[in-house]
Amino acid sequence: MLTEFLDFLGSLHPLIVHLPIGIILLTIAIDVFMRNKNNSVYRVITMGWFFTFFTGLLAALFGWFLGDNGYYFESQINIHRWSGIALVSLSFIIWVLRYINFRFSKPFNRSLNLTTIILLMVTGHFGGEMTHGQNYLFENLPYIEKEISLVKLSEAKRSKADSLMVYEDLIHPILEEKCMACHNQNHAYGGLNMSAFESMVKGGNSGTGIKKGKPYESLIYKRVSFPHDHPKFMPPAGVPLSYDQIATLEWWIDNGAEKQIPVTSVRNDAKIQRMIEIQYGLDLKEKTFLETLKLASPSPEMLKSIQGEKYFFRYLNPEQSFMDLKFTKKEINTKDLINIQKVKKNIVWLNLMDCMLKDDHLGYLNDFPNLTRLKIQKNPLITNKGIEALKNLENLSELNLYGTRVSDAALITLGQIQSLKKLFLWNTRITPQAIADFKAQHPEIEIVAGL
Amino acid sequence: MHCNDHHHENKNYSRRDFLTKTSLGLGALSLGSMISPVNAYGQSEFLNLLDSEKMKLPHFVPKAKRVIYLFQSGAPSQLDLFDYKPKLNEMFGKEVPKSIIGEQRLTGMSSGQNSFPMAGSLFQFNQHGQSGAWMSELMPYTSKIVDDLCFIKSMYTDAINHDPAMTMIQTGSELPGRPSIGSWLSYGLGTDNKNLPEFVVLVTKGKNGQPLYSRLWGNGFLPSQHQGVQFRSGKDAVLYLDNPPGVSSGIREEQLKSLEKLQRIQHADIGDPEILTKISNYEMAYRMQTSVPEVMDVSDEPEYIFDLYGEDSKNPGTFAANCLLARKLVEKDVKFIQLYHRGWDQHGNLPKDIKKQAKETDQATAALIQDLKQRGLLEDTLVIWGGEFGRTNYSQGMLKPDNYGRDHHPRCFTIFMAGAGVKKGITIGATDDFGYNIAERPVHVHDFQATLMHLLGIDHEKLTFKFQGRRYRLTDVHGNVVKEVLA
Repeated sequence: MLTEFLDFLGSLHPLIVHLPIGIILLTIAIDVFMRNKNNSVYRVITMGWFFTFFTGLLAALFGWFLGDNGYYFESQINIHRWSGIALVSLSFIIWVLRYINFRFSKPFNRSLNLTTIILLMVTGHFGGEMTHGQNYLFENLPYIEKEISLVKLSEAKRSKADSLMVYEDLIHPILEEKCMACHNQNHAYGGLNMSAFESMVKGGNSGTGIKKGKPYESLIYKRVSFPHDHPKFMPPAGVPLSYDQIATLEWWIDNGAEKQIPVTSVRNDAKIQRMIEIQYGLDLKEKTFLETLKLASPSPEMLKSIQGEKYFFRYLNPEQSFMDLKFTKKEINTKDLINIQKVKKNIVWLNLMDCMLKDDHLGYLNDFPNLTRLKIQKNPLITNKGIEALKNLENLSELNLYGTRVSDAALITLGQIQSLKKLFLWNTRITPQAIADFKAQHPEIEIVAGL
Repeated sequence: MHCNDHHHENKNYSRRDFLTKTSLGLGALSLGSMISPVNAYGQSEFLNLLDSEKMKLPHFVPKAKRVIYLFQSGAPSQLDLFDYKPKLNEMFGKEVPKSIIGEQRLTGMSSGQNSFPMAGSLFQFNQHGQSGAWMSELMPYTSKIVDDLCFIKSMYTDAINHDPAMTMIQTGSELPGRPSIGSWLSYGLGTDNKNLPEFVVLVTKGKNGQPLYSRLWGNGFLPSQHQGVQFRSGKDAVLYLDNPPGVSSGIREEQLKSLEKLQRIQHADIGDPEILTKISNYEMAYRMQTSVPEVMDVSDEPEYIFDLYGEDSKNPGTFAANCLLARKLVEKDVKFIQLYHRGWDQHGNLPKDIKKQAKETDQATAALIQDLKQRGLLEDTLVIWGGEFGRTNYSQGMLKPDNYGRDHHPRCFTIFMAGAGVKKGITIGATDDFGYNIAERPVHVHDFQATLMHLLGIDHEKLTFKFQGRRYRLTDVHGNVVKEVLA
């Protein structure tokens, strides 16, 4: 009962706070502009300071109640609170001094007036920040660039979208901003403490906070998505959760509400993914190996080895570090392969088709860390034996073996290449049965084996 | 690179430079000495920076390395091939509702008609593949591979007549004089095979219809080494490539070497880069003396490959034979292969003519895509099939139960693509129930071109060439990549 009454008084703070403001300004105006200060003018000014003190005291008291109800963080209120109290105290001192007819010098009087006005501005400004938001003072100035993304994520985090967690990086900051002023470990309103994951899930006096997988039965989701005039709508004061924030919360609960769900799993819902990408300035598209690979360009020294008519290469990226290399002659030898090895780090696509490649040649290819596409088709001397060397190519995703003499046993080797996505096996000795078995075992690998 | 570049080197002056600088009089002369030649020709630091973007090509890792563009000249009727509109059959013979045509322009060939009777297709449509794409019975072979195709049913263009529309889709502008798509790619990405041109053109022989001009594969204002080279069927694939009778290869080589020396002297003297282009053209021609006969020779191809492409494929110069050649050129890393097949301009007698036309192209198109696929070439080759605009839903001339014609229709048409970087088994965009206006996801010709460039690793806004005082690009100031196409 008492708490509610104090809350009511607290809500009067923004109303009553304007009384002392007006009175201070009027009092100082009289002091400054009435040159001829006879006795009655002096008493009017003294009375002005008294009313400043009195109404200011009320405003400060109500403000204290308001600040205590938990809608605001101490860090937000701090300056406002103490500069307001300083203002009230100052007006009290001035009133007392004038009341006992203490005569102060003109400069001293001026500096008192000035201090009061500065204190008033400071108090008013930080009060305004609480009601109108952090940037209210300058946000509508024409030259100020407006922040478009609503929620800020640090640059460091944004660059590592793969390692972000839905709870830690998205949900917790929302709850912190919107709920934790009241629902924290110190004042857990309604018995609900949202500052820790476990206690938030557990809920408060009204019941379980979050039912994993069931957003519409989770109290936290229900309270923030009620109609705004519903008595149980949360938060009861301040800016409600945005549509995007509610949708993110809904997605998270729907998908299990676990602490360790990576942000990248929103890929299962294109709409939420798009929403989060725009809101947080993230790029959550699935990256291929090449999209994440950072390489330095090959040195001129390295390039020397692949000069000449035999080799043709082009760069695949503007950084000139990914190479697409092909052997242009009809017959390759070990020396050519050793030359190609000199740039093995930079080769991402390699074309050695139709150049009499032999099994033991393939041994030279076993350590190409960034090779993703290998074309060795139309080399009829290649057999299962040669293929063995390829299983160490840990980023190979596409392999063209058409027109080689590989047979069913080669598929066992090829199945060990984890990164493999596509396999071309037309015109080889591999049987349709073996392909069918392989497909059943490795559904992620697409096989093209003729028409 | 280009004919005016030597101005900026500030060391060689041609006759033209002299005249430009002096003809403006003494005032201009004194100005000319005050302003550096770089500024005088409008080549600011900033613009130089723009040009240097070209140096960093490709702008991102490409999906496609090569393109085969099966151009269907004359504009095939989308309503009889791909765009199934049962409403037109339901309302066969009734007038096209006024609300559908609105105030849109029609060609002079049918705008005078008293009546615009709707002509539902006479051909049977069915859904095919897992993707359920609608195809008419005219294309039985292509119907079998719809799960490898990406249809765009909402293409539109600005031009209503053949020449400007073809110029538009090939060069990005209705007005002649701009470089063709293949020339832009050759200029931007260079060669992958020094023995063959980057841009090869194959035209189906013996077809009538709208004329084809060599400017459709022209280099426009780009250096002339980037123009398309037409490979003809028959003995001389490339005209004037063989040595004249009595001239041996050795003599030819010696002659070219001497010529090059002379040309280098000339270049050192006046610095015109077009001289270098000329040298490279001679060199290319010399290398092509061996490389072209080799690639044109299909005698190695096994019988089942000819069977796949159809019996026409043994007859040089047919669409099927050209498709087979296109595959061989792709195997040799030719960057852009443009086929032209004329005869789709069916203003009258459409049902009879389109049957023949479809028969000539259907099997070989499907065969080409399948053949590329089994060889693993579809991974980095983009295949495009389509014309310059669509055809009307109403009959041009008298509509009979078994006969009609269709006029030009730039408001919607269908193309399809397959291969590198393109989604498989999807249809993008849709037309309204009458097949007249676009109902969903319009794709302008410039959007299509921007997408094509994107697949090849090029930002279409960055590949520019300065000519006559301003920068040009394939899509001029238009075009957005159609993201829905990208796999």
